[in-house]
Amino acid sequence: MAVAVAQRQVSAWNPANAVTASRFLTLPPFMWAVVHGYHQWATLFMLVCGLLDKADGLVARVFDCRSAFGELFDAITDALCYGFGLVIVAAYGWAPAVPVVLVIALGVANIAMRVVYVRRAGRPTNYKSYAMERLVAYTGYLIGFATSGFEVTYYYWVFPFVMLAILSYDAKRMLVDPIP
Amino acid sequence: MTEPMSATTFSWFITIAVGGLGAAWFVYDAINLARSIKLDRADPIVRDRHFGYVMGMLIGVIGVVGVLLFHGVV
Repeated sequence: MAVAVAQRQVSAWNPANAVTASRFLTLPPFMWAVVHGYHQWATLFMLVCGLLDKADGLVARVFDCRSAFGELFDAITDALCYGFGLVIVAAYGWAPAVPVVLVIALGVANIAMRVVYVRRAGRPTNYKSYAMERLVAYTGYLIGFATSGFEVTYYYWVFPFVMLAILSYDAKRMLVDPIP
Repeated sequence: MTEPMSATTFSWFITIAVGGLGAAWFVYDAINLARSIKLDRADPIVRDRHFGYVMGMLIGVIGVVGVLLFHGVV
Protein backbone atom coordinates (compact mmCIF):
# COMPACT_ATOMS: atom_id res chain seq x y z
CA MET A 1 0.00 0.00 0.00
CA ALA A 2 1.38 3.33 -1.00
CA VAL A 3 1.77 5.83 1.77
CA ALA A 4 1.24 9.46 0.84
CA VAL A 5 3.87 11.68 2.39
CA ALA A 6 2.75 15.26 2.84
CA GLN A 7 5.33 17.68 1.48
CA ARG A 8 5.70 20.59 3.91
CA GLN A 9 5.56 23.89 2.06
CA VAL A 10 7.66 26.74 3.47
CA SER A 11 6.78 30.28 2.41
CA ALA A 12 9.60 32.36 0.95
CA TRP A 13 8.41 35.15 3.29
CA ASN A 14 9.88 33.70 6.48
CA PRO A 15 12.12 35.05 9.29
CA ALA A 16 15.28 33.32 8.02
CA ASN A 17 14.99 34.85 4.56
CA ALA A 18 14.25 38.24 6.17
CA VAL A 19 17.56 37.99 8.06
CA THR A 20 19.32 36.99 4.83
CA ALA A 21 17.78 39.96 2.98
CA SER A 22 18.74 42.33 5.80
CA ARG A 23 22.41 41.72 4.93
CA PHE A 24 21.96 44.04 1.93
CA LEU A 25 21.29 46.89 4.40
CA THR A 26 24.93 46.74 5.53
CA LEU A 27 26.23 47.55 2.03
CA PRO A 28 25.32 51.30 1.81
CA PRO A 29 26.99 52.15 5.18
CA PHE A 30 29.96 49.94 4.20
CA MET A 31 30.30 51.88 0.94
CA TRP A 32 29.99 55.18 2.82
CA ALA A 33 32.77 54.15 5.24
CA VAL A 34 35.13 53.13 2.42
CA VAL A 35 34.46 56.31 0.42
CA HIS A 36 35.20 58.47 3.48
CA GLY A 37 38.27 56.44 4.52
CA TYR A 38 36.85 55.05 7.77
CA HIS A 39 38.67 51.70 7.90
CA GLN A 40 37.31 50.58 11.26
CA TRP A 41 33.68 51.39 10.46
CA ALA A 42 34.00 49.58 7.12
CA THR A 43 35.38 46.53 8.94
CA LEU A 44 32.54 46.59 11.48
CA PHE A 45 29.81 46.87 8.81
CA MET A 46 31.29 43.88 6.97
CA LEU A 47 31.50 42.03 10.29
CA VAL A 48 27.76 42.64 10.83
CA CYS A 49 27.10 41.31 7.31
CA GLY A 50 29.09 38.15 8.15
CA LEU A 51 27.34 37.68 11.51
CA LEU A 52 23.92 37.98 9.84
CA ASP A 53 25.06 35.22 7.46
CA LYS A 54 25.57 32.98 10.49
CA ALA A 55 22.33 34.20 12.12
CA ASP A 56 20.04 33.27 9.22
CA GLY A 57 20.91 29.58 9.55
CA LEU A 58 20.21 29.74 13.27
CA VAL A 59 16.86 31.52 12.70
CA ALA A 60 15.91 28.90 10.08
CA ARG A 61 16.49 26.14 12.64
CA VAL A 62 14.69 27.95 15.47
CA PHE A 63 11.60 28.79 13.35
CA ASP A 64 11.83 25.53 11.39
CA CYS A 65 11.67 27.32 8.05
CA ARG A 66 14.53 25.77 6.10
CA SER A 67 13.89 25.47 2.39
CA ALA A 68 15.71 24.88 -0.90
CA PHE A 69 14.83 28.45 -1.90
CA GLY A 70 16.29 29.77 1.36
CA GLU A 71 19.59 27.97 0.74
CA LEU A 72 19.73 29.30 -2.82
CA PHE A 73 18.84 32.84 -1.66
CA ASP A 74 21.57 32.62 0.99
CA ALA A 75 24.16 31.56 -1.61
CA ILE A 76 23.11 34.37 -3.99
CA THR A 77 23.24 36.92 -1.13
CA ASP A 78 26.75 35.70 -0.20
CA ALA A 79 27.89 36.17 -3.78
CA LEU A 80 26.35 39.65 -4.15
CA CYS A 81 27.38 41.04 -0.74
CA TYR A 82 30.93 39.69 -0.74
CA GLY A 83 31.39 40.31 -4.46
CA PHE A 84 30.32 43.94 -3.94
CA GLY A 85 32.64 44.28 -0.94
CA LEU A 86 35.62 42.88 -2.85
CA VAL A 87 35.04 45.16 -5.84
CA ILE A 88 34.77 48.23 -3.60
CA VAL A 89 37.97 47.55 -1.59
CA ALA A 90 39.88 46.83 -4.81
CA ALA A 91 38.46 49.91 -6.56
CA TYR A 92 39.57 52.16 -3.69
CA GLY A 93 43.05 50.59 -3.64
CA TRP A 94 42.61 48.87 -0.25
CA ALA A 95 43.21 45.42 -1.80
CA PRO A 96 45.32 44.13 -4.73
CA ALA A 97 43.22 44.04 -7.90
CA VAL A 98 44.65 40.88 -9.53
CA PRO A 99 43.60 38.36 -6.82
CA VAL A 100 40.23 40.12 -6.52
CA VAL A 101 39.65 39.66 -10.27
CA LEU A 102 40.70 35.99 -9.96
CA VAL A 103 38.33 35.44 -7.02
CA ILE A 104 35.40 37.08 -8.84
CA ALA A 105 36.12 35.03 -12.00
CA LEU A 106 36.16 31.83 -9.94
CA GLY A 107 32.97 32.98 -8.20
CA VAL A 108 31.23 33.46 -11.55
CA ALA A 109 32.41 29.98 -12.62
CA ASN A 110 30.96 28.60 -9.37
CA ILE A 111 27.57 30.25 -10.05
CA ALA A 112 27.56 28.93 -13.64
CA MET A 113 28.24 25.38 -12.41
CA ARG A 114 25.44 25.69 -9.87
CA VAL A 115 23.05 26.71 -12.64
CA VAL A 116 24.10 23.61 -14.62
CA TYR A 117 23.59 21.50 -11.47
CA VAL A 118 20.05 22.85 -10.99
CA ARG A 119 19.25 22.13 -14.66
CA ARG A 120 20.63 18.60 -14.33
CA ALA A 121 18.51 18.09 -11.19
CA GLY A 122 15.40 19.56 -12.87
CA ARG A 123 14.28 21.21 -9.62
CA PRO A 124 15.31 24.20 -7.44
CA THR A 125 18.15 22.75 -5.39
CA ASN A 126 21.47 23.88 -4.02
CA TYR A 127 24.63 21.79 -4.19
CA LYS A 128 25.85 21.67 -0.58
CA SER A 129 29.61 22.16 -0.60
CA TYR A 130 31.08 21.84 2.89
CA ALA A 131 34.38 23.26 1.65
CA MET A 132 32.80 26.23 -0.16
CA GLU A 133 30.77 27.08 2.96
CA ARG A 134 34.06 27.50 4.80
CA LEU A 135 35.59 29.49 1.98
CA VAL A 136 32.63 31.90 1.94
CA ALA A 137 33.38 32.75 5.58
CA TYR A 138 37.01 33.36 4.53
CA THR A 139 35.70 35.73 1.82
CA GLY A 140 34.00 37.82 4.49
CA TYR A 141 37.27 37.93 6.37
CA LEU A 142 39.08 38.84 3.15
CA ILE A 143 37.15 42.11 2.94
CA GLY A 144 37.89 42.69 6.63
CA PHE A 145 41.62 42.24 6.01
CA ALA A 146 41.50 44.93 3.31
CA THR A 147 39.49 47.40 5.38
CA SER A 148 41.74 46.91 8.41
CA GLY A 149 45.04 46.74 6.46
CA PHE A 150 45.82 43.39 8.07
CA GLU A 151 48.41 41.32 6.08
CA VAL A 152 46.46 42.17 2.93
CA THR A 153 48.93 40.85 0.36
CA TYR A 154 49.36 37.47 2.07
CA TYR A 155 45.66 36.77 2.61
CA TYR A 156 44.63 37.95 -0.86
CA TRP A 157 47.23 35.95 -2.77
CA VAL A 158 46.63 32.69 -0.85
CA PHE A 159 42.87 32.86 -1.36
CA PRO A 160 42.58 32.20 -5.16
CA PHE A 161 44.66 29.01 -4.86
CA VAL A 162 42.46 27.63 -2.07
CA MET A 163 39.35 28.60 -4.03
CA LEU A 164 40.69 26.92 -7.18
CA ALA A 165 41.32 23.67 -5.28
CA ILE A 166 37.79 23.68 -3.84
CA LEU A 167 36.17 24.63 -7.13
CA SER A 168 38.02 21.83 -8.96
CA TYR A 169 36.64 19.29 -6.47
CA ASP A 170 33.12 20.76 -6.60
CA ALA A 171 33.17 20.90 -10.43
CA LYS A 172 33.31 17.12 -10.64
CA ARG A 173 30.52 16.75 -8.08
CA MET A 174 28.26 19.30 -9.82
CA LEU A 175 28.95 18.52 -13.47
CA VAL A 176 29.83 14.82 -13.63
CA ASP A 177 28.70 12.81 -10.60
CA PRO A 178 25.10 11.55 -10.29
CA ILE A 179 22.73 13.90 -8.44
CA PRO A 180 21.32 12.45 -5.19
CA MET B 1 32.68 61.29 12.70
CA THR B 2 35.62 59.38 14.17
CA GLU B 3 36.67 55.74 14.20
CA PRO B 4 35.19 53.74 17.11
CA MET B 5 38.52 52.68 18.71
CA SER B 6 42.22 53.50 18.78
CA ALA B 7 44.53 52.01 16.13
CA THR B 8 46.23 49.76 18.71
CA THR B 9 42.93 48.47 20.12
CA PHE B 10 41.68 47.86 16.61
CA SER B 11 44.78 45.88 15.59
CA TRP B 12 44.36 43.65 18.66
CA PHE B 13 40.65 43.31 17.97
CA ILE B 14 41.46 42.02 14.48
CA THR B 15 44.25 39.81 15.89
CA ILE B 16 41.85 38.11 18.30
CA ALA B 17 39.06 37.89 15.72
CA VAL B 18 41.31 36.30 13.08
CA GLY B 19 43.77 34.31 15.21
CA GLY B 20 41.17 33.16 17.73
CA LEU B 21 38.63 32.17 15.13
CA GLY B 22 41.30 30.56 12.91
CA ALA B 23 42.55 28.41 15.79
CA ALA B 24 39.02 27.53 16.92
CA TRP B 25 38.07 26.71 13.34
CA PHE B 26 41.06 24.37 12.99
CA VAL B 27 40.14 22.52 16.20
CA TYR B 28 36.41 22.41 15.31
CA ASP B 29 37.02 20.86 11.88
CA ALA B 30 39.73 18.52 13.24
CA ILE B 31 37.13 17.18 15.70
CA ASN B 32 34.54 16.93 12.90
CA LEU B 33 37.04 14.99 10.78
CA ALA B 34 37.99 12.66 13.64
CA ARG B 35 34.31 11.94 14.37
CA SER B 36 33.45 11.19 10.76
CA ILE B 37 36.63 9.36 9.74
CA LYS B 38 35.06 5.93 10.27
CA LEU B 39 32.11 6.64 7.97
CA ASP B 40 31.98 4.89 4.60
CA ARG B 41 34.04 6.90 2.10
CA ALA B 42 32.23 5.18 -0.77
CA ASP B 43 29.39 7.61 0.02
CA PRO B 44 30.06 10.85 -1.95
CA ILE B 45 28.44 12.96 0.80
CA VAL B 46 30.95 11.56 3.30
CA ARG B 47 33.81 12.39 0.92
CA ASP B 48 32.39 15.94 0.55
CA ARG B 49 32.32 16.32 4.32
CA HIS B 50 35.90 15.06 4.74
CA PHE B 51 37.14 17.39 2.01
CA GLY B 52 35.26 20.30 3.60
CA TYR B 53 36.74 19.60 7.04
CA VAL B 54 40.28 19.40 5.64
CA MET B 55 39.77 22.69 3.80
CA GLY B 56 38.37 24.21 7.01
CA MET B 57 41.52 23.15 8.87
CA LEU B 58 43.70 24.60 6.09
CA ILE B 59 41.82 27.92 6.24
CA GLY B 60 42.26 27.95 10.03
CA VAL B 61 46.03 27.50 9.59
CA ILE B 62 46.12 30.27 6.94
CA GLY B 63 44.35 32.60 9.40
CA VAL B 64 46.76 31.89 12.25
CA VAL B 65 49.87 32.20 10.00
CA GLY B 66 48.62 35.63 8.82
CA VAL B 67 48.32 36.80 12.43
CA LEU B 68 51.85 35.56 13.19
CA LEU B 69 53.14 37.37 10.08
CA PHE B 70 51.41 40.59 11.15
CA HIS B 71 53.09 40.50 14.55
CA GLY B 72 56.49 39.55 13.07
CA VAL B 73 56.59 36.14 14.77
CA VAL B 74 57.30 34.30 11.51
